[in-house]
Amino acid sequence: MHFDALLLSRLQFAFTIAFHIIFPSFSIGLASFLAVLEGLWLATKNEAFKTLYLFWVKVFAISFGMGVVTGVVMSYEIGTNWSVYSAAAAPVIGPLLAFEVLTAFFLEASFLGVMLFGWRKVGPRLHFAASALVAFGTLVSAFWIISANSWMQHPTGYVRLASGALRATDWGQVIFSPTFPLRLTHMVLAAYLTTSLVVGAASAWRLLKDPDEEESCLALKMAIGMFAIVAPLQLLAGDASGKQVLQVQPAKLAAIEAFWDTKAGQAFHIAAWPDRAAAANRWELSIPKLGSLITAGDANATITGLKAFAPQDRPPVAVVFWAFRVMVGLGVAMIGLGFWGGFLAWRGNLPQARWFLRAAVAMGPAGFVAVVSGWIVAEVGRQPYVIYGVLRTADAVSPVSQGEVSVSLICFMAVYALIFSVGVLYILRLIDEGPRPAATAPPPTAMRPPGYALAAAPEEPAAPPRGPASRDSSGDAP
Amino acid sequence: MRAIIEPPPEPGAPLAPLWKRLSWFAGLAVSGAAATAIVAYALRALLR
Repeated sequence: MHFDALLLSRLQFAFTIAFHIIFPSFSIGLASFLAVLEGLWLATKNEAFKTLYLFWVKVFAISFGMGVVTGVVMSYEIGTNWSVYSAAAAPVIGPLLAFEVLTAFFLEASFLGVMLFGWRKVGPRLHFAASALVAFGTLVSAFWIISANSWMQHPTGYVRLASGALRATDWGQVIFSPTFPLRLTHMVLAAYLTTSLVVGAASAWRLLKDPDEEESCLALKMAIGMFAIVAPLQLLAGDASGKQVLQVQPAKLAAIEAFWDTKAGQAFHIAAWPDRAAAANRWELSIPKLGSLITAGDANATITGLKAFAPQDRPPVAVVFWAFRVMVGLGVAMIGLGFWGGFLAWRGNLPQARWFLRAAVAMGPAGFVAVVSGWIVAEVGRQPYVIYGVLRTADAVSPVSQGEVSVSLICFMAVYALIFSVGVLYILRLIDEGPRPAATAPPPTAMRPPGYALAAAPEEPAAPPRGPASRDSSGDAP
Repeated sequence: MRAIIEPPPEPGAPLAPLWKRLSWFAGLAVSGAAATAIVAYALRALLR
């Protein structure tokens, strides 16, 4: 494999977006979870909801900040590494990203301050309004980003000028391109699933230590309620999205299912080793006709295979095929966990079900893995195009050297490793401490300088009074 | 040490007058938006 500027730029964007997507997919769901917790606290006055809010809002603040830091990088990367794409597509994509800043970013930035620093200043109802507006802002952000991405997956409502630049002719068609509604639904459900799995894992972890912790039991029940409902819905949304891919990106669908030949009654490959050079699967474990049934809803439907496309128009197959199976496999496991948890909650012995609690902890990162796998399917599957059918990825890269991209990629890897490690370790430490009601929280420590090594240590006992009397009492004073 | 993330008012604690709470709400919201705008314009100036 030759690491030229194109491949390095693709690796750099893949690296930064894979890190970035982790945080919004968590903070979108967590913002809504916080708004629900605060609303329930206002409605019921149950202190457990308030304790949970105050616990998860700290995790939200950190993940929100890390999401912003890792996301801003990508805007600049589009300009530095993908300047040909920027020059051609900016008149269409630029306004969508600007709308995201003007609507979502400013909404979130404005009311995050009230949410974090203003509860006593604005009172409970206005504070709830701020939490709800931040949650709404995260959804608005998802709306614009998925709108831009959906347009790149299936561009509509534009013309191509003689200069090669693109111009929007119908903003309605640009914003609401045909695949947008289902893709937005799929992404938002993924965010809610990811968050509920993390909340479930954190609560299960606490219950393994202390089965009587009321707040964690409540949070676990809420998490189970969410993923037991959302995981099956996600399966339906994903299936509908897949059927749409068959219509608008048949080469991607063929790569997802490793279909090489166009034929009726395609088999479903549970596992396979797709070989792009041989244009075949070296081996496969298949169920006859199920591929056509799943992808087209008809076991005898004819599905286009990859050989119907010129070799230079085919996406990488193995990575798309396996990323899809990781995503779907985890989705099925989430459905199973939801049913299991729902049954235990109905039986009323959730905190004592240690095998379920261990399984819930193990499934904590599953949402993140599924989201990243889903993005690999979506983004690698639309190759070799950056704007499907319009602009090839190879033609979109900036005239930059291999050395320049290598240096920036190494810098990104080093900085991200530091930010990600510190951020995630801090979040894991918070989760390990768990939600703590105000009555059991430790007394405030003395004012100590930030970064002081013993900042979190308990107060020292009062020093004995200095002077001859104290020396005498010690007995062994020199 | 006072918590950075502010907890809710104590139960039964008297609330400030509505005009004062609305002023804080608007003030914090505008400050947040202004901070974002300052960072955005600073980055823009840096890259020009």
